[in-house]
Amino acid sequence: MKRKINHLLAFLKKPQNLILLFFVVTLGYLVLFPLVCIVKDTFVVHASEVMRVKGSKIGDFTTYHWVKVFADKNSATIFYTPLFNTMKVALGACFVAISFGGSFAWLVTRTDLRWKGILTKLFMFPYIMPSWTLALAWMNFFKNSTVGGAQGIFTALTGIVTPNWFAYGGFPITMVIGLHYAPFAYILIGGILRNMDANLEEAAIILKTKRSRMFMEITIPMVMPAVLSTFILVFSSAMSAFAVPQFLGLPVRYYVLTTQMFRNLNGTNPGYGYIIALVMILIALIIMFVNQAVIGKRKSYTTVTGKSANISQFKLKKFRTPISSLFLVLVLCVSVIPMISFLLQSMIKIQGNYSPSNFTLDFWIGAAAASDKINDKAGILINADVWKGLFNSLKLSIVAALGAGTFGFLAGYAIVKQRGTWLSRFVENLTFIPYLIPSMAFSVIYLSMFAVRHGPIPALYGSFAILAIIGTVKYLPMASRSGVNSMLQLSHEIEEAAMIVGVPWWKRMTQIIVPIQKSTVISGYLLPFISSMRELSLYVLLVTPANKVLTTILFQYNEKGWDQYANAINFVIIVFVLVINFGIERLTGASIEKGVGG
Amino acid sequence: MPVIRLVNVTKKFGNFVAVDNLNMTIQDGDFVSLLGPSGCGKTTTLRMIAGLETPTEGEIYIDDTLVFSEEKGINLSPDKRNVGFLFQNYALWPHMTVYKNIAFGLENMKWKKEDIDKRVNELLKTLQIEEFRGRYPAELSGGQQQRVAIARTLATNPAILLMDEPLSNLDAKLRNGMRAELKRLHATSKSTFVYVTHDQSEAMTLSTRVCLMDRGVLQQYCPPLELYGEPTNLFVADFMGNPTMNFVDVKARKSENGIELTCPSMNLTFHPLQETEINEADDYVLGLRPEAVLIQEDGQIEGTVISSLPSGMETTLSIEVKDIRLSSVVFGNIDFAMDSKVNLTFKGNTYILFNKRTRNKVGMGALTIK
Repeated sequence: MKRKINHLLAFLKKPQNLILLFFVVTLGYLVLFPLVCIVKDTFVVHASEVMRVKGSKIGDFTTYHWVKVFADKNSATIFYTPLFNTMKVALGACFVAISFGGSFAWLVTRTDLRWKGILTKLFMFPYIMPSWTLALAWMNFFKNSTVGGAQGIFTALTGIVTPNWFAYGGFPITMVIGLHYAPFAYILIGGILRNMDANLEEAAIILKTKRSRMFMEITIPMVMPAVLSTFILVFSSAMSAFAVPQFLGLPVRYYVLTTQMFRNLNGTNPGYGYIIALVMILIALIIMFVNQAVIGKRKSYTTVTGKSANISQFKLKKFRTPISSLFLVLVLCVSVIPMISFLLQSMIKIQGNYSPSNFTLDFWIGAAAASDKINDKAGILINADVWKGLFNSLKLSIVAALGAGTFGFLAGYAIVKQRGTWLSRFVENLTFIPYLIPSMAFSVIYLSMFAVRHGPIPALYGSFAILAIIGTVKYLPMASRSGVNSMLQLSHEIEEAAMIVGVPWWKRMTQIIVPIQKSTVISGYLLPFISSMRELSLYVLLVTPANKVLTTILFQYNEKGWDQYANAINFVIIVFVLVINFGIERLTGASIEKGVGG
Repeated sequence: MPVIRLVNVTKKFGNFVAVDNLNMTIQDGDFVSLLGPSGCGKTTTLRMIAGLETPTEGEIYIDDTLVFSEEKGINLSPDKRNVGFLFQNYALWPHMTVYKNIAFGLENMKWKKEDIDKRVNELLKTLQIEEFRGRYPAELSGGQQQRVAIARTLATNPAILLMDEPLSNLDAKLRNGMRAELKRLHATSKSTFVYVTHDQSEAMTLSTRVCLMDRGVLQQYCPPLELYGEPTNLFVADFMGNPTMNFVDVKARKSENGIELTCPSMNLTFHPLQETEINEADDYVLGLRPEAVLIQEDGQIEGTVISSLPSGMETTLSIEVKDIRLSSVVFGNIDFAMDSKVNLTFKGNTYILFNKRTRNKVGMGALTIK
């Protein structure tokens, strides 16, 4: 008995064990419990469903939802069509992202492309900007008067009326998501191309390998792992994308799983929504296992940089200027031009009319009209609501970033320290689960979990705390992943050297570990911050008028058709995010690129 | 017939001169080592021969074909130079099996399938890696990867084999084994080997000629024993040999007996093998190999043993003679007590006199103690 107590005391004496236990308890409540709730909710009659499930009371056990979703004459519209659409969109987006980002990565790392510096900076824009940015830009350009109410810039310039399939639905959703995640492909594939041992290609040249064969049989297979991880990252991100299909799909009733789930959760069939959420979690899990199975150990390799510093660059010769120009135009189309379109759209009085007389700054600085005219609000720069939203967004993002970054780093530290134990593995998996749960489903669960008091935990609905908690938990995987990866590269001896001379734990952390891992720590804060600033689906169901954030104001304005205000706010969000991102990058050298795929 | 000829080859990276006006001829069937400390330009030289690096100036001939000329604007790509290259990190393609790695080059040459199969099997057998033919490089040990890399390089029967520190990633025991195999390989294949290494014993034991470089400049290019026995300057003398050569600062003056060398701890007469010019204003350095500092009971110089490092086959001593220290190697299984007195003497004509200012060898010969 005494022995057991001694063991326990020895166990608790290690700070990393205390950290792990802390995570078991908190994440158990904030992550595992919600997961169980989702499953439970698929078998339960909810308030809005009592009428349809005959002879039931609220909270009764039922298989009604399961039958309806999977085996009913309406299952096609409820589930199978959105599922099929999701698959189509996600696969298409992967194709767009990998071909665009991959070819850009190859051009930048392996050829004498012009203007590389500015091109690579601009290429990151779509990822730094909120995902719906391109969706709104697409609408600004290509909307048609049949569905969109007014004509877009493209039609105004050319007179060509865009067909519906081009302006709305699957095609633009695929394109927009693909372009948004193309930077993933560029970062991951470019990283390998850049770090790939040049000797591998030189060995092929010496053996008289033709350029084409070398590309097909050496270069491509070498970047395959990166292509695969891009595929997985883009596929799962595209699957859980909400804002883009909401903006571009809704006008033509094109539903994917997320928008269908939103409709159900927000409407009268929450049961369906929970099942869809479960299906999405399941797909995410399958992808993860496939990933681990495919990237097996057999062909694994490390990219040790060989002796030759510079790989011979492929000369584009007479195509140099045309290709460089083409990519400059493409990159401008997804970075600067959308912003111009927002600025433009925020300054026209009557939509679709782009003549100079139609321009105004009213939506930016104009005073509000009489209170009876609901859609003439004060210009966003003098609108108290908008300022409050901005303030809330900032507050929330800072808190969530601090929370996710700090806890994520601690988790990474403790996981690596105790690597090999079941406790460490358990916590590692726990920290990753929030990544798999679609934002929308996550927020619905929190909505019901925190609606009433549970023991010592008060009802949190409507409070700032619930937003902060969900933000922290949802972005934890980003920070903990990069924390684990960077801690793995730090030898235990560095900390042990301090332990030997009796430096206490907190001092070891603040004076040794954190300073060494500075750039990881900052990336660990930066990524959640940026993500939170542009987050919509996670917060949209949880905000109340008192704690609206900028993105939900944007969503609301957009739904109500207050286009100019929406565009203006969008512009503000983008400028804000870009300035902060590049500011932090310049100040600290940390960058969002380092966090991707971590 | 010379196989490789470098004429006034210079390579600059920005302002840094990696290889400075190098002239070198490698004969058919030679095993030439490019030796030197890291950063001396040896790998750059090898890569320039292969065509993986472009020289800034100069000309390179392979088999009397001009493969590079800055002046004439000729630069044959690596695949047209008919050389084999063995990389330090092996550069095996991780996504191909051992068999495929070896066959790849033959496929490029449009060999028939049966011929490829025959050739690869033959190589797998010679290099004793038959059982690994289906494995991927990541599943092999360092030594096995090394063999695969050699097999891949040999597959196309290159007449010239360029090797970039191929043994440096292996552990000491494997390295010794592979050295012997490389030497055998050179003898049986009759190819010309150019071999980069920073390990002097590797260069000594393997090569027919060694090219010692320092900071991009060729120091001495000759057979290995000559490099050891007759270093042309202080750098070469210092670089070759372990334990290193003893250097004693001396003043020199010509006399009828030879050259009188004086320093605070010894007075010696140097008897050069050839007529040697001395400038009495200059400072000189006397170089003595440790094995030429002999311990003998009737030696005329008395010293104190500072340390004694017996290794079984020989013992390395550090001996203090007044204000200088000399290292000495005594063969046999002997140990010396710390602080014991020993008597030293000199014999043979392996002692070398260097000019301290020019750092070059002035003469070589015998020593007598006054």
